[in-house]
Amino acid sequence: MLSVKNLIDIDDLSIRDVEIIMENADTFNEVLERDLKKVPVLRGKTIINMFFEPSTRTRISFEIAAKRLSADIINFTSSTSSMKKGESVVDTIKTIKSMIADLLIIRHSDSGVVNFISRYIDLPIINAGDGKHQHPTQALLDLYTIKKSFGNFRGLSVAITGDILNSRVARSDILLFKKMGMDVSVVSAPMLLPEDISHYGVRIHGCIDDVIKDTDVLYMLRMQFERQDRKYYPSIKEYNRFLELDEKRLNKMKKNSLVMHPGPVNRGIEISESVMNLESSMLEKIKVNEQVRNGVAVRMALIYLILTKE
Amino acid sequence: MGLTFDSVNTLPRDTELIIKNARIIDPVQGKDVKEDILIRDGVIQKIGKLKTEGMAESLQQGIGDNKKSSHFAGKELLKPLISENKNFIKLEAEGLIVCPSFLDLHVHLREPGNEDEEDIMSGIQAAIHGGVSGLCCMPNTVPPADNECYLKYICSVAKEQDFNIFPVASMTKKLEGTEITDFGILKENGAIALSDDGCCVQDSRLMYEIMKYAAQFDLLLILHEEDYSFSRFGLMHEGFYSSKLGLDGISSLSEILMVQRDIELAKRTKAKIHFTHISAKESVELIKNAKDDGIAVTCDVTPHHLSFDDSELESYDALFKVNPPLRSSADREALEKGVLEDVIDIIASDHAPHLEEEKNTTIKNAASGVTGLETIFAASFTRLCCKSNFSLNKLIDILSVRPRKILGLNLPSIKPGEKAEITIIEQDRRKLINSDFFSSKSINSAFMNKELQGFISGTINGRKIRINS
Amino acid sequence: MKEKALILNEADIDRILKRIAHEILEKNKGSKNLVFIGIRKRGVPLAERIAKNIRELEGTDIDTGKLDITFYRDDVAKRVTPDVEITDIPFAIDGKDVILVDDVLFTGRTIRASLDAITDFGRPRTIQLVVLIDRGHRELPIRADYVGKNIPTSLNESIEVSLIETDDKDSVKIYAED
Repeated sequence: MLSVKNLIDIDDLSIRDVEIIMENADTFNEVLERDLKKVPVLRGKTIINMFFEPSTRTRISFEIAAKRLSADIINFTSSTSSMKKGESVVDTIKTIKSMIADLLIIRHSDSGVVNFISRYIDLPIINAGDGKHQHPTQALLDLYTIKKSFGNFRGLSVAITGDILNSRVARSDILLFKKMGMDVSVVSAPMLLPEDISHYGVRIHGCIDDVIKDTDVLYMLRMQFERQDRKYYPSIKEYNRFLELDEKRLNKMKKNSLVMHPGPVNRGIEISESVMNLESSMLEKIKVNEQVRNGVAVRMALIYLILTKE
Repeated sequence: MGLTFDSVNTLPRDTELIIKNARIIDPVQGKDVKEDILIRDGVIQKIGKLKTEGMAESLQQGIGDNKKSSHFAGKELLKPLISENKNFIKLEAEGLIVCPSFLDLHVHLREPGNEDEEDIMSGIQAAIHGGVSGLCCMPNTVPPADNECYLKYICSVAKEQDFNIFPVASMTKKLEGTEITDFGILKENGAIALSDDGCCVQDSRLMYEIMKYAAQFDLLLILHEEDYSFSRFGLMHEGFYSSKLGLDGISSLSEILMVQRDIELAKRTKAKIHFTHISAKESVELIKNAKDDGIAVTCDVTPHHLSFDDSELESYDALFKVNPPLRSSADREALEKGVLEDVIDIIASDHAPHLEEEKNTTIKNAASGVTGLETIFAASFTRLCCKSNFSLNKLIDILSVRPRKILGLNLPSIKPGEKAEITIIEQDRRKLINSDFFSSKSINSAFMNKELQGFISGTINGRKIRINS
Repeated sequence: MKEKALILNEADIDRILKRIAHEILEKNKGSKNLVFIGIRKRGVPLAERIAKNIRELEGTDIDTGKLDITFYRDDVAKRVTPDVEITDIPFAIDGKDVILVDDVLFTGRTIRASLDAITDFGRPRTIQLVVLIDRGHRELPIRADYVGKNIPTSLNESIEVSLIETDDKDSVKIYAED
């Protein structure tokens, strides 16, 4: 049983909580392999999928997870522009309060909005990504993908590359990977790194070549041009030179090492076109599609554990 | 005559008010003595050991006997006794401290434009509650105070209320940082200083011209320092917590660079400049060096920057969104040290009232600022005198005397012939600040739900008197 | 709870499972279309043992699977998070004669959940139920096709089935409330 009733910040989970989620994800993975990929365990439960920020991948992943558990899921989407005023968030919360729901899944473009909402709502909440703050379910599915390949975590080396500054995925991943005993480095440029990153206990590199031979997991962040308020990174050419995974670099990677990416991949930016089109055995290293699939199992596990908690 | 707690009473003419057994701290005269004070018609008449024995027999009831008495049953210290013929009031102040009332150099009264947050009248109530008898109101109202009409209005209300409000006019039109205002006319109409508070002139050449022109009229410039290229999109101090919380940061360089620029400009132009609400440790260092070099520079810090650091934002509580932002614990410590070492001259509240819905929202949508007029003493005393080893006498100097010095006003003193601007302090009193505490229209205090020590028991401002329960 | 009686020992259980193997073969006219599914947790070793008996009798291979019915229970939300184990049915059940195996048949609710679960995996020709013990007190119209032993019990008694695979010994005991 989980020690928390919400998942807002990945750091709220204990190591045991993470292990329970991983174990349950295995169970749900089996369900996903069936012809009839659905179990009636959450019949009668209502989940509201509140997306204040456009997102298809995460929203659909949660929706599938809920449906495969036989819960009723209602999508509430609202464009950020109509939610600009702070009052609207409070008003929306009041509306939700009057609906009878069992679980809220919230995505918002501003950091901390999920924490803010949780102060006013007594329902369990899962953070589906808030601004540049956190994306805990992505971190859990990333961890699960690593677990499926390596069996354990302790001592694995992970290199996270790219735009750490604007990435909620990076923030959650770093916290979770460190918690589970992995050795984390970041490969980036100063203008793509948050202030005081060294407090997280990660090593910092400037070029992918510094880590490529030794890393067990190469985690490539999406270069989020839409989140860059300031265009300080010089060019794609510069990015390719220092931070892109091309075939030459892929071939230098250790046996059994993995390449991960939260998707969608910017072909020709984080991962070269030729690597994405590979059909050799090297392609097995690239776990992008497996991550998506694992996302459903992990989210099923999480929803199940939260909704069956006393 | 009814005298009520927790609101401002105006005494009838010829009423004699005697404060008995008070410890009088008067930094200007260098006095710290236990004496009585006699006040009539808002003016101090006598100081010394005053005889009240004969009068005492005619004193029959305290205001504690009125209907609200049960609320104040435990409050025995400042017990007003009113004589039968109602023209004599005795305040027993044994164990309390009496000092010249404070001057808050940085207040937003919100009138005109945002009277739902605060107005001049409610601002005066809040000031008196906080032991403040004079305040500078900032020009970023709607419309802004960039012309003399506004100044005339403020001055007329202040006069009518017999309360010292010193309006600060803007130094650029509409605070846009592009065109200079009519410094000469503004000064003739009551502007005590100039400021674009809330905004900062980015154009260095324009700032240079402003300083030269202000120097001609000997006008003080109150400077809010912010380099927009560092603060744009920013929601909190850039550092470990902004990284952790995923909130865009405002580097302390935003302030440091402008402080540095303006010290250089002041050196060249001989303008008198005052940096308001400084927040970064490097700013303290720069100001210290400038003072050592003999440049006419002063500065203030707010009680909230002295009390809190950026870790407060961890709960995403937008109450702690202020501009400049609460900075790191190292910055906070440097500010405290700056006050201790007289690099920071004074404490000003940056009283910024906001509506509930502007603060009770997400960090991104929330307005910046907290109220502070009513807690300026309690917050400063708690931080500096209780938690650090700071003398009360010096704190009174910082809150009462030095702001007036900076503004070139008469220095306040408790002596016969002076207008009674007296604040009575109970330094051992502790209170949990809640929404009932405030007289301001807004309650966005950074000290909400916090316990503070050292409260104002009463304020006498001319014929106005407020006794706090 | 107090131990009231030992009902079955190792030899009894062994004999019963052999008998049931014969009954299954007789009723289904051989083992050709049979698959076994044990309900976690003690139905799984029982299913394995019966399947092994049939393999020895018939000399053919028999598929066995494991079913966890947690997700199909009607009282999930009322219980603390149960230990969910992986369901493992690595063969098709369409058109098969599914032999569902559990240790004790009581209210019938576990079997109801199992039937739901199995139908999610396909459409068997028949589903037949094996239980080691039938202790009565049904709450649903469900009966077993093959029963090891009928043990009439009262509601304040309980049945404890131990198997070597899960509990290091083979026995069935009845307990009574103090």
